[in-house]
Amino acid sequence: MLEEEMFIKQLLDIKTQNTAFQKLLSTYQKPLYSHIRNIVLNHDDADDVLQNTFVKIFQNLKNFKGESKLFSWMYRIATNEAISFLNQKAKKSGISSEALQNKMIDNLEADSYFDGNEMQLSLQKAIAALPEKQQLVFKMKYFQELKYEEISDILGTSVGALKASYHHAVKKIENLLTSN
Amino acid sequence: MKEFKLENRTKIETGFTVPDGYFESFSEKMKDKFIEPETKVISLSSSKKKIYIMVAAAILVLALMIPVLSPSTNKTATELDSTTLENYLSYQSNVNQYDLINALDSDDINAINSNVALEDETIEDILANNASLEHLIIE
Repeated sequence: MLEEEMFIKQLLDIKTQNTAFQKLLSTYQKPLYSHIRNIVLNHDDADDVLQNTFVKIFQNLKNFKGESKLFSWMYRIATNEAISFLNQKAKKSGISSEALQNKMIDNLEADSYFDGNEMQLSLQKAIAALPEKQQLVFKMKYFQELKYEEISDILGTSVGALKASYHHAVKKIENLLTSN
Repeated sequence: MKEFKLENRTKIETGFTVPDGYFESFSEKMKDKFIEPETKVISLSSSKKKIYIMVAAAILVLALMIPVLSPSTNKTATELDSTTLENYLSYQSNVNQYDLINALDSDDINAINSNVALEDETIEDILANNASLEHLIIE
């Protein structure tokens, strides 16, 4: 934690900001991008959300209390930004979040930045059929291989509840893929 | 039907890709957004100068507007009291008695006579104490 405090001070100090910010980007841009992309699916949308995420991170860094790890705090911002982005997109299109999710999955096949095989596409379709929270937990656990403790810190949900969510998500996905 | 089990298979990846050099260009884009280059630092100080100039101009404009906005000051600007006017004519201006006499015609003098009602005794006292005024009466 002390190391993180030092790092945050470096980010806020104009003399050390440049180097610290480069370190922040090089360390976190890929995992945050993957997390966001798993939620919004499309690359251009993920790029927009990632930019907004770093803007929020930078703007709110001075208010970071250190109650959670910097990593968890940034993931939380990224999650909120991605979900808000999808909600706004659905609202603008005048459709429900579920309808938007289906549309996104349909677009995935034609996406030039998706080179998944049939199994990968089937898995994405199965995930899209889950409730929002289960989708989130499954993606964070299965694709990103985050620990339950880390997911708990990010989402503010107990480890027990997360384990249950993941278990339900896996069962539903397996059932859907078995029937297909 | 063969049951599908996630844990019995090798991990299925997402299948998502990114454009070539995306993360490098993203880093550059974000650095441009957040990290001020040297030249921008200079422009920050010049913007401070601009702010100072604008503040000074605003104060000047407000100072100039005080006579317009303040009713009491406005009154003194347009309506000079007679004492100030007399003092100015006596001590500050080049206007002398002769100039005043030449500037007034008979109608003006009649108007003054009707406005300023002097007692005969008062006139006699003034003439007695100011011998130099005699030539004005002659004129």
